Amino acid sequence: MSVFTDPALGLIDGPFQPRLAEQSRAKAWYGWAGYIAPAVLDSVEFEYFALRNQASLFDISPMHKYRIAGPDALAAINRLITRDATKIEVGRVAYCVWCDEEGMVIDDGTLFRLDDTDWRLCCQEPMLTWLLDATWGFDATVTDESDTVAGLALQGPTAFSILDAAGLDVADLKPFDLREVEPGLMISRTGFTGDLGYEIWMDRDAALPVWDRLWEAGALWGLRAIGYEALNIARIEAGYLAAGVDFQPIHATERLHRGKTPFELGLGWLVNFDKGHFNGRRALLAARDAPRTLLLKVDVEGFKPATGALVYHAKRREVGHITSGLWSPTAKRNIALAHVKASHARQRPGNLWAEVYTSQEGQWSTRMARLIPLKTPFFAPPRARATPPGRI
Amino acid sequence: MTRFDAIVIGGGINGLTAAAVLARRGKSVCVLDQAETLGGMAAPGPDGAPRGAHLLYNLSPAVRRDIGLGNRDWPFRSAPLPSVALSPDGRHVVLRGGEATNGDSSAHPDADAYRALHGRLAKYGALLRQLAENAPPGFDGKLASRSALRQMMRLGWFGLGLKRLGRDEMRNFLRVLLSNAYDTILDEMPDGPMAGLLAADAVRGAAAGPRAPGTVFSLIYRMGHGGEVTLPMGGMSALCSAFADAARNAGCQIETGVTVTRVLIEAGAACGVETADGRQITAPLVLTSTGAEVTCHLAGPQHFDIEATRRMRNVRARGTAAKVNLRLSSLPAVIGLSRDLMAARLIAAPSATYVERAFNPSKYREMSPNPVIEAVIPSVTDPGLTSGDSHYLSAIVQYAPCDLEGGWTETAKRALAKATIDTLATYMPDLPGQITASEVLTPVDIEAQTGAPGGHWHHAEMSLDQLLTLRPANGLGRYALGPAGLYLCGASAHPGGDIMGLAGRNAALAALASEGRK
Repeated sequence: MSVFTDPALGLIDGPFQPRLAEQSRAKAWYGWAGYIAPAVLDSVEFEYFALRNQASLFDISPMHKYRIAGPDALAAINRLITRDATKIEVGRVAYCVWCDEEGMVIDDGTLFRLDDTDWRLCCQEPMLTWLLDATWGFDATVTDESDTVAGLALQGPTAFSILDAAGLDVADLKPFDLREVEPGLMISRTGFTGDLGYEIWMDRDAALPVWDRLWEAGALWGLRAIGYEALNIARIEAGYLAAGVDFQPIHATERLHRGKTPFELGLGWLVNFDKGHFNGRRALLAARDAPRTLLLKVDVEGFKPATGALVYHAKRREVGHITSGLWSPTAKRNIALAHVKASHARQRPGNLWAEVYTSQEGQWSTRMARLIPLKTPFFAPPRARATPPGRI
Repeated sequence: MTRFDAIVIGGGINGLTAAAVLARRGKSVCVLDQAETLGGMAAPGPDGAPRGAHLLYNLSPAVRRDIGLGNRDWPFRSAPLPSVALSPDGRHVVLRGGEATNGDSSAHPDADAYRALHGRLAKYGALLRQLAENAPPGFDGKLASRSALRQMMRLGWFGLGLKRLGRDEMRNFLRVLLSNAYDTILDEMPDGPMAGLLAADAVRGAAAGPRAPGTVFSLIYRMGHGGEVTLPMGGMSALCSAFADAARNAGCQIETGVTVTRVLIEAGAACGVETADGRQITAPLVLTSTGAEVTCHLAGPQHFDIEATRRMRNVRARGTAAKVNLRLSSLPAVIGLSRDLMAARLIAAPSATYVERAFNPSKYREMSPNPVIEAVIPSVTDPGLTSGDSHYLSAIVQYAPCDLEGGWTETAKRALAKATIDTLATYMPDLPGQITASEVLTPVDIEAQTGAPGGHWHHAEMSLDQLLTLRPANGLGRYALGPAGLYLCGASAHPGGDIMGLAGRNAALAALASEGRK
């Protein structure tokens, strides 16, 4: 079956489009990896609060998914990613990054170990040619499953109760666990919201019945379909990075020095130098102790979101910029992610300021807002990790 | 002893050079070659006749000094050979250095044009030679380090040499350097045997015709030492023994008939090799004179960065030159050429257009029905090589692509031998009756016997995108190959093949320098 319903339109329908179209009152669509996807279905406030207080359903089918299988799949993956893949057991998912030969991050994503020699990599950027290069010389095959596997993110405090009501038993799934709960239906306890939540994976052709099953089960649990804007608030609160926003995937850049090492993105914990060679290892060994910038979680003075603001030291010297920022309705803080020169981030973190532009009824002015770097996540509720998850 | 300071895989000219250079700096070195005869592509056949390469253009004095053969002479004598551009009508052209005459020693109408072109190319060759002799420029340390300063000096000298050409000549140099041989030659002379010879020289061993950009560069490349063509007296065995003896005298242990099946890597560094007979030989330095991709397979791709493996497997090494070696009952005669000149390097390429036409079929994985041939009968110059009246004729035949449609079957090899003999018979009508034995070495055979990727004359195409720091590929241009202690020392490294030994010498020096930095 072709996924092109009408090539002249450009964007194509994802597997859940009939349901999403039904739900969409705002008609706010955008293109995500060639698919039509909802930015907002109704209103962002409704959707965000459903996510944090009830449950939300978000279509993640446009994510790129690749199957890597074969006797050498583990060796090839271990050379690809910076983590030690031998420590990922069957039935587990791992968040990981992979780098180019200069140690610059190509993309991040989740790696599912489906079986001993069978893996799935799920990421934001198209990665087929890179994976084909990465498996050259290895006894492993790469299959692009982006158009054949559908995914749904069911996130929020009542997510577990909904699955339970739908007859899907995931009580024993710990964070980053993975199980085929029914033939052709795989559930992983993963997500992009920092909250209790699951991702549900199925064949594209089996997608709509799964949606309907969850929807029916979710009626009493406040389930709401959401668009990207609500999800984006949640992922910033969780401190997760968005490719192309909080870092530039190196293969998508043309200018020099736009890449970042995992150390510069606060992902040094994902780099294992003891596992043998991996792509970029030689460069990262040299870069490990000399990050050019650091990614800081900051609390911004005032309540004006600081997205895109330049960061200054002592209000004078430009030392960085803010990539994502918003007023967090749950943390009740004006939060942001900032790239700041390493010297200033380490030695003088107490005197950092963001230059924020404000408009008061059309009157624009600029204001220096003090930044307070935070060591702890903006939002990390215990319910996100409890096993078995609490019922509400 | 199975523990050495360095292992060199491949006992060709470059491998032996690398080994000798390392051993002379106090390293214990083991050379392993899969063949029984040392010399790689220069190795002679069992009867002493040349098998692969048969002439010398570019033997480097820097190599001679560094392998301990002294500052003055090679241990074998070599005889300069004239070149003869064969013409089907018997009006052959004889070239000696910059001088061109007719076959009967009368003045050639284009002698002045040839002298001027030859002089210019030789001048450019001398200029480029200093870039060839050293490792390609690249700064891996601080700009103020000694090695960086030396490199700056070198580049400075190159710039100064360029300036010294004078304004017009410098412009001309920069104009033709990246250009195609066909236009550059025919700008100076009409198309004919003389132009054909130059065009053939510009593409020898290449997967390109003379109209391809960059072929002027390969023409200049042969002129690095003035463009003189010489024949080693005592045959290629004399040459190979000189290098093997130099390595042995420096203290190297040389083993032939040993195939390396694995390069061992531990903790991101080379630590030895495993051989087909099950032995493990350890050493913190491994230099390999085969290609980068082969080495990657020997070591395992997991030890290399993904970009590096991509570049390695995309190195263009499509061999197009075959060898046809003939054993003759008596000396053949070329109509219109004196017996003395039968010692010359004989080129069957009656025009530059002929060379381009010969190239065309290879684009479609076919062999040339009318090939370009460089033939030498070394036994004329060096009668000691054969007994009685017999002679042998060594021919480099183009184009015979390694990826021939249908493969190099016995039928295909017979067809190549026939095309070669038919072409030569145009000039030497008696030749077919004089052949007592023949041997055809296609690029596939050459690859199997020597490990040269694609059976390519230079292990990797000498094209502009695969030269200097880009040779054999971007990121591999400074001899180091990913894992620490693993080096490429064969012709696919800068500055390429042609029996120079410079790639081997430079790789050894790079390995020594990085040891010094540790």
